[in-house]
Amino acid sequence: MAEVRPDEISAILRKQLSGFESEVDIYDVGTVLQIGDGIARVYGLSKVMATELVEFPNDVIGMVLNLDEDSVGCVLFGESSLVKEGDTVKRTKRVASIPVGKELLGRVVNPLGKPIDGKGAINTDKFLPIERKALGVIQRQGVKEPVQTGIAAIDAMIPIGRGQRELIIGDRQTGKTAVAIDAIINQKNTHTEEAKSLGIKPVYCVYVAIGQKSSTVAQVVAKLQEHGAMDYTTVVVASAWEPAPLQYIAPYSGATLGEYFRDNGMHSLVIYDDLSKQAAAYRELSLLLRRPPGREAYPGDVFYLHSRLLERASKLSDELGGGSLTALPIIETQQGDVSAYIPTNVISITDGQIYLESSLFNSGVRPAINVGISVSRVGGNAQIKAMKKVAGSLKLDLAQYRELEAFAKFGSDLDQSTLKTLNKGARLVELLKQGQYAPIPVEKQIVSIFLGTKGFMDSIIVADVKRFEKEALEYFEVKHRDIFETLKKEKDISKELEAKINSAAQDFLKVFKKTA
Amino acid sequence: MGDFRILHRYATSLLETSLEKNNLDVVTIDFNLLVETLEQSRELQSMLDSPVIRPELKLNILREIFDNKISKDSMDFIEFVISKNRESLLSSIGKRFLELRDDHLGIANVFVTSVTEFSNDQKNLLQTRLEKILDKKVRLNFKTDIILVGGFIAKVNDTLYDASIRHQLELLKKQFLTGEISLN
Repeated sequence: MAEVRPDEISAILRKQLSGFESEVDIYDVGTVLQIGDGIARVYGLSKVMATELVEFPNDVIGMVLNLDEDSVGCVLFGESSLVKEGDTVKRTKRVASIPVGKELLGRVVNPLGKPIDGKGAINTDKFLPIERKALGVIQRQGVKEPVQTGIAAIDAMIPIGRGQRELIIGDRQTGKTAVAIDAIINQKNTHTEEAKSLGIKPVYCVYVAIGQKSSTVAQVVAKLQEHGAMDYTTVVVASAWEPAPLQYIAPYSGATLGEYFRDNGMHSLVIYDDLSKQAAAYRELSLLLRRPPGREAYPGDVFYLHSRLLERASKLSDELGGGSLTALPIIETQQGDVSAYIPTNVISITDGQIYLESSLFNSGVRPAINVGISVSRVGGNAQIKAMKKVAGSLKLDLAQYRELEAFAKFGSDLDQSTLKTLNKGARLVELLKQGQYAPIPVEKQIVSIFLGTKGFMDSIIVADVKRFEKEALEYFEVKHRDIFETLKKEKDISKELEAKINSAAQDFLKVFKKTA
Repeated sequence: MGDFRILHRYATSLLETSLEKNNLDVVTIDFNLLVETLEQSRELQSMLDSPVIRPELKLNILREIFDNKISKDSMDFIEFVISKNRESLLSSIGKRFLELRDDHLGIANVFVTSVTEFSNDQKNLLQTRLEKILDKKVRLNFKTDIILVGGFIAKVNDTLYDASIRHQLELLKKQFLTGEISLN
């Protein structure tokens, strides 16, 4: 082993430390008056700004939320047991902000931008404040490009456009996160060379996990990695064990990360999973800050809490680069109660909702989307023409099916036309079932929905529908590849194309082996 | 929180009346004495705080202590405060009044903490430098504290001018932790 002499070390130390400046340092301070439950009341700090970060001893960081006449209310992002009464608090003169940029893709960070994935420091000098004002009317334009989630039921009937806010709402264990994760995984298609040639711009994703178990988040990250989705995704985590203030700011941090892409002419998809936990965290810290409680003990500005977050989703005008930020907030309901305070608020803010039901989930309809009450208020404009055409009859058929579903019990007592509607509906419901992590490209979705609505599956038993779809798509892929290619390029179904699909489907029906 | 609003209101009116009557110097001396007395005597403060003792009695006690020591105007103000049942805030009102007076006259109170006592030359030097920086008249208050290791800290309102060795060491420690100084 090589030897290191002590005098050598001291020489190096002296050399390195000689450059250390010793000048007078000027900074503003305050004194902790009261501390507890993650809240500190501070005397002094007279010029401090709202939402400014302040430094407590032992490297605890806090954020200023209340500016009172003679004291300042701060929330702590660290252990409050490390701070004592009478401690000195220092201003940082920096409003809470987060590093942004493409360097953050593939990383897992906390809401202040500190990496927690053990992959080292993030080298970016671009910082943006966590709280930013939403854009005005002039800077925006209508939603016109689609975000393909890869889930047939959503892309066909509840389409999401770039710049839209679509709520995913449902009880626990109904697959809310699964829908969001599938949407992220499907964005992989927008990063390919093929998408580039078709004029589809890449979508960068941000997944914000609020108040979840760390193990759940780790599983999500592993899944994203497995499907190669981490290359274009940033995960922002404020786990359940972390202080309420961090959970409260997490979605705003996520929005800021997405806004960087939007403001630079790129597209982003931000998922807030979930906002009911964020509201609970905000309630906790509001009550500790002694703000008066209102309905369900939430503070008066809990609507503003979510509206200012979701208003940041937008599609920029072409002069500003045409970037977009699509938001998919998630809300967990209790026993299907959508009329609770937070769900009604967020439903009214967003441009539509995807409603997931546990009864559907348990009866095997997965994704468990209740298409009857799920809507998308603006996404229709963004749907490609071909999809619009096939989805129209799909929606109609399913609506008729739901109306008659109650009669299904009577079986053969029904007249012919009712029976036909019921049969077709059952097959369409089966067709829209889809496995997790298995997004379907839009051209394939169009073809299978076309086959379903045009009655090609009516002669097949319900149990065979998924097999029929799979084999049909394989058949089309091998024998009629041009159909998919035209759909991708033209984005429309012309008369000739329709005839072509029809004849191809007829041919396939002949070769398909029915089980019964 | 609520108290601050009240005592600020009383202190401002005291300042304004004394400016009107042109007796600010006298009132300042009076209230310096009052604040000092109240701070030194815990019994006196708790007597004022006590709701059991009748206001008239409180006034009589204060009269007995301060008669002939403070001006009539100041005594009248004390009487007014007691008549409004705000006697427990008297010392805070006095302190706030002195702060407002300093603000009005452009005087900055600077609290200097150092490890060793400053010599008179050093004090003068510091005073002229601070007056130049702050563009105000400076009143220096000195204190020694061994915890600084070396150097000094000057505190003006909430701003610290930190030239202490302790702070330098803290900065050095931080720099070590972030690895900006490399040892190879």
